[in-house]
Amino acid sequence: MVSVLEKSRIPDLLEDLSKKYSVAYFQKDKTALSAKGYFFPPQETLFSYLFKNKKLSVSSRSRRKFLLFGLDPIDLEALDQLDEIMTKPKEDYFYLQQRKNSIIVGLAEYPLKVPVTVGDLILEKINENQYRAVALSKIGFDLIKNRNFKIEKNPEITDYPEETNGLRELVKDSEFLSEVVLWSWRTKHPIWDKLGKICLGCGICTYVCPICHCFLVEDRVKLDGSDCARCRLWDACTLNNFAKIAGGKNYRPNQKYRYFNWFYHKFVRAYKEYGKSQCVGCTRCQKYCPAHIDIEKILLEIIKDYKNEKSISA
Amino acid sequence: MKNLYQPEPVKIEKIEVLSSNVKLLRLKKRIDFIPAQFVLAGVWGYGEAPFGIASSPYEKKYFDLMVRDVGAVSSVIHSLKKGDEITIRGPYGNGFPLDFLKGKDVVMVSGGCGIPPIASLIEYFIKNRKNFGRIYLLYGAATPQDILIRNEVSRWQKDIKIFLTVDKPIAGWKGYVGLVTELVKEIHINPLDAVATMCGPGPMTAAVEKILKPLGLPDRRIFVSDERKMHCGIGKCQHCTTGDKYVCLDGPVFNYDQVDKNWD
Repeated sequence: MVSVLEKSRIPDLLEDLSKKYSVAYFQKDKTALSAKGYFFPPQETLFSYLFKNKKLSVSSRSRRKFLLFGLDPIDLEALDQLDEIMTKPKEDYFYLQQRKNSIIVGLAEYPLKVPVTVGDLILEKINENQYRAVALSKIGFDLIKNRNFKIEKNPEITDYPEETNGLRELVKDSEFLSEVVLWSWRTKHPIWDKLGKICLGCGICTYVCPICHCFLVEDRVKLDGSDCARCRLWDACTLNNFAKIAGGKNYRPNQKYRYFNWFYHKFVRAYKEYGKSQCVGCTRCQKYCPAHIDIEKILLEIIKDYKNEKSISA
Repeated sequence: MKNLYQPEPVKIEKIEVLSSNVKLLRLKKRIDFIPAQFVLAGVWGYGEAPFGIASSPYEKKYFDLMVRDVGAVSSVIHSLKKGDEITIRGPYGNGFPLDFLKGKDVVMVSGGCGIPPIASLIEYFIKNRKNFGRIYLLYGAATPQDILIRNEVSRWQKDIKIFLTVDKPIAGWKGYVGLVTELVKEIHINPLDAVATMCGPGPMTAAVEKILKPLGLPDRRIFVSDERKMHCGIGKCQHCTTGDKYVCLDGPVFNYDQVDKNWD
């Protein structure tokens, strides 16, 4: 017995759901951005402070549950990582408030081989017209009760190939990547000098990345001086002043260091912290980089040289 | 779930001018901390900035910050008066490894505005004087007027040996001038059972090479309180990372070899 949803019923389903929840249909091909912004917005107010009576209020979530529909398996994996980052070792209150108020419905264009660990309901494409519903939580089970789902005994199941790419395959061996990236810096691999000159320091790679989570906090005071909003904004470690402290000292004074730090965080520090690369191979960064930097090519180049050196020394 | 970003208001009990651009703020609140832990002090409308706590960890009624007028937050703090309010979050970070220091000779090296964590550590030593061997403080400042611990020196000298040095002396200055490498001769420690604790600006590295290393102190037993832009305080925002460490979580105190061999 399988619970299935006809592809043609997706709009009806979303309409039904939007009566109860505030629904967003995430369509990867219609935006450069990932879905992280729903929980970690490009800018958000954390606190409001009224100067007159010193009243502090904490931004609260809306009472209505938020349903995010349409994340593919790659973005689900990224969301799972971001959840972990925002939970350990200390909890990010604002992110987790948004997440706890949300329902995630994934949409996979192929039957999943590996179980997904994030979300409430996954819809897996089993043939040209149908998705199979896999509930992952109590809310997920409730969603399947919607009239647009039906129970079928033996639906036709096609084994569509898993969506993958070179980068996605590379990041699977996160232990190896952490070693290679660190090796490339220690041995002064010329690629970092080259990238230091090519990278424009615009931060786009970090904005489109579904896992990058650098931020800064800024106070904004109303023109009449009556209140102040403490806002959190996306920041990027590739921007000029990211590691600059009061008094003017910049701990990463040139682009080479800043660009390497981005790599170092994704592949070395992240591996030490969480045991995996903070990259799921979504390829947004290489698609939207105005300088056409392709991180897969960078990794392949340093891997090639690493292997060469190791084979010579061995 | 606790909101770790939410600051608490705290009243300024006393302001003392320590030098042309440094003020001491006494804040009325109990904070339980280890010397070298820091707080994020803030002013609504301006933001927050990290400061090491300068007072004794045994003081239960208040804590002190030394604020150098150098950025947006510290500059507005300088304009405040006694009785005004600022906000506080923390304490954050690890602090000096007090248990490890126990029973050993200690050499403290500090310069300029790097003194707060060291000052707090000195208060801890004085309270537990018998648990430690010989204790030295080497403190350098630009001019005699920039010595932020002027008022404490005579009290501290009863328990620890203090060497003061300045870059530009004035008439009547009785201390040392410049980086005092010959102090190596004045410091009598057992290098096998001694530690160094440091906090201060860049030239401190020279002190390590020219004073601490000749004393026979290995990098592993030199503890440095590092500085970065600690912005969120809880290891999320990435501003204070140094290599694979977060200054706000893993630091600010590191072994010198951790800092020295770090790629950034």
